[in-house]
Amino acid sequence: MSTPSPDSFVVEGKLALPYQYFAGRTGSRFLTTLRDEQKIKGLKCKKCNKVFVPPRQTCERCFEDISENWVDVENTGTVTGFTIIRYAEPHQPFKPPYILAQIKLDGADTALTHIVKGVALSKMQTGFKVQAKFAKNTTSSIMDIDHFRPVKPKFELGYSYDELEIGMSASFTKTVSESDVYQFAGISGDFNPMHLNEEFAKMTPFGTRIAHGALPQSLIAPVLGMKLPGLGTVIPEITVRFRKPTYFGDTVTATAEVVEFLEERRWVKLELTWTNQRDELVAEGHAIAIPPTPMD
Amino acid sequence: MNKNRNVGIIGVGQSEYSSHREDVNQPEMIHEAIREALDHAGMTIDDVDCIVHGNMELFEMVHQPDLWHTLGSGAYGKESLRVTTGGTTGATLCCAADQLVASGMHDVVLAVGFEKLQEGHTTGGITNMADPLWARQLQTGALTGMTAEQVINEFGEERAKKASMKYRIIMDQHAMKNHKAHRRFDLQWDQAEDLMYTSPALVGELRMIHMCSQSDGACAMIFASEEKAKQFCPKPAWMKDHITVHREECFHIFGDAPVLMSHRYAAEKLFGRNGIKDPKKEIDVFEMYDPSSWWGLDWLREFLLFEGDEHLKMVENDEICIDGEFPINPSGGVIASNPIGATAMIRVAEAALQIMGDAGDHQVPKTVNQALASGFGGTMWTVLFLMTREIPW
Repeated sequence: MSTPSPDSFVVEGKLALPYQYFAGRTGSRFLTTLRDEQKIKGLKCKKCNKVFVPPRQTCERCFEDISENWVDVENTGTVTGFTIIRYAEPHQPFKPPYILAQIKLDGADTALTHIVKGVALSKMQTGFKVQAKFAKNTTSSIMDIDHFRPVKPKFELGYSYDELEIGMSASFTKTVSESDVYQFAGISGDFNPMHLNEEFAKMTPFGTRIAHGALPQSLIAPVLGMKLPGLGTVIPEITVRFRKPTYFGDTVTATAEVVEFLEERRWVKLELTWTNQRDELVAEGHAIAIPPTPMD
Repeated sequence: MNKNRNVGIIGVGQSEYSSHREDVNQPEMIHEAIREALDHAGMTIDDVDCIVHGNMELFEMVHQPDLWHTLGSGAYGKESLRVTTGGTTGATLCCAADQLVASGMHDVVLAVGFEKLQEGHTTGGITNMADPLWARQLQTGALTGMTAEQVINEFGEERAKKASMKYRIIMDQHAMKNHKAHRRFDLQWDQAEDLMYTSPALVGELRMIHMCSQSDGACAMIFASEEKAKQFCPKPAWMKDHITVHREECFHIFGDAPVLMSHRYAAEKLFGRNGIKDPKKEIDVFEMYDPSSWWGLDWLREFLLFEGDEHLKMVENDEICIDGEFPINPSGGVIASNPIGATAMIRVAEAALQIMGDAGDHQVPKTVNQALASGFGGTMWTVLFLMTREIPW
């Protein structure tokens, strides 16, 4: 290989250093239980009650031989630390990127190192609850646990109180058509001729039919209920002041922005705005939201 | 050597030595030795202030194995030090432990050396660490045929080969008395002639039968201050003195046979400053780091400061046997068991056991007042220990 200095050269070398580790009696028992029973076992120190997974023959604190005191632990656990492997080296188990995590299984006191899949790299966090997925084909190795994946909640939920931040905003946009207005009249029972009778409407200050005020107002519902805070939210209060009419064919954007934490009740206050395609303020107001509570 | 205070060896522990230890992982294997050393000293890990740990660099492909080994070494929450000086690692561990106690820094130091050669690739680790051709000045690798060549040139083929095989068989007979030894062939005298010609050649006249093993195993030793030593042990082996000599210019030997002077230099200095005039008479047993029976044979002359063929005669006249005048390696030596990071420590440990009278079936049948132990490694690196039954100062 040439170097920046024209008269000096580098002699390339390469070390090939194969190795193996003996798992020992204790490690082998752990592996055969994984392989044959799809069960994760640990060793418990009788003196300090610490449960070691992966198992160890000796408790390094009490210096006790614990090699016979096997206990079962759960297949689920909590991520206590992780790293994302992004560069490729020939000795890695997978093609990067992948997540390498320390997982404290339920019932264990020490963390087991393994792979986490099923979560976006940017969304990976310590504290995640994960579950072991066993390999279809055994290799009599630690890879008999193929990987861990997040324990999926039973229901999807929006942002919890703790996840919300001041300044977070979301919106929904829709073009209000004649048929929307007619359906809304049917839903609400409001057959005011201002909304339905063009000849009548010509005599009003607006000069033509306009949508019910509650129609553009209702476009905030998909924002609060599905986006911010999102699924599972309860809205105990909405206040609104109408500023401009919505004509048929207008495109209305309803926006909510978190402006205040109501710490005592763990609710949030959101500022609401409705604008149209001419950037006119159609309406403005506030909502109080009870964000969804995370379920375990 | 001026010491701040006396240091006693009060506990020795060794795992079983074997070509394979699948039944234990590294910390578990170390734990065997440590448990035995603590039991031997009548101590618990709580009595230990500091752990000194060592093995060959990367032989098992584990970076900083001492951290992993905390599981078995008891180093949790204690002072700890890792030493890796090649073949002499085990000896340097003893030097470090001795100095940590002698200095007054710690009262009780537990040293542990280990190797699981079956898990790594020893020759890959040593020999490949230089380009095979380019500027090849490193004498890498443990297989060296030059000494066989030298001894044969000096003393004639027949006498040299016979003496080397006799040394080998004596070592095997010693190993047969040591149930922890790895290679115990039960060699008989009438096999000598056959083996010296038919054993697979490694380099020149260095044959498989002459060469040391590759072993898995661990050795642990407990070094204590005079006060602690007397408190725990009725008969400590006292570390009187040790010397480390190495010749870095040996990295540049090229082609010609190396002139090994580190053994002789170490012996001259050590004996001189301890008033030993006639080492053969004044030393009762010698645990020598003998990587092959050619080296073992040749190095006797160096360590005992002989000229001529006195060393050959010692072998020919059975003086180096366990019940001989100057017993060498009652344990079977390095040829029988060679877990490298522990090997040099085993020499010191075995010499200590001989002084304490705790060597079991391979105890020499006499009182050991003064014992020698040596370590050897890479760059003509010698560590030589002098241990005594009487407290030195």
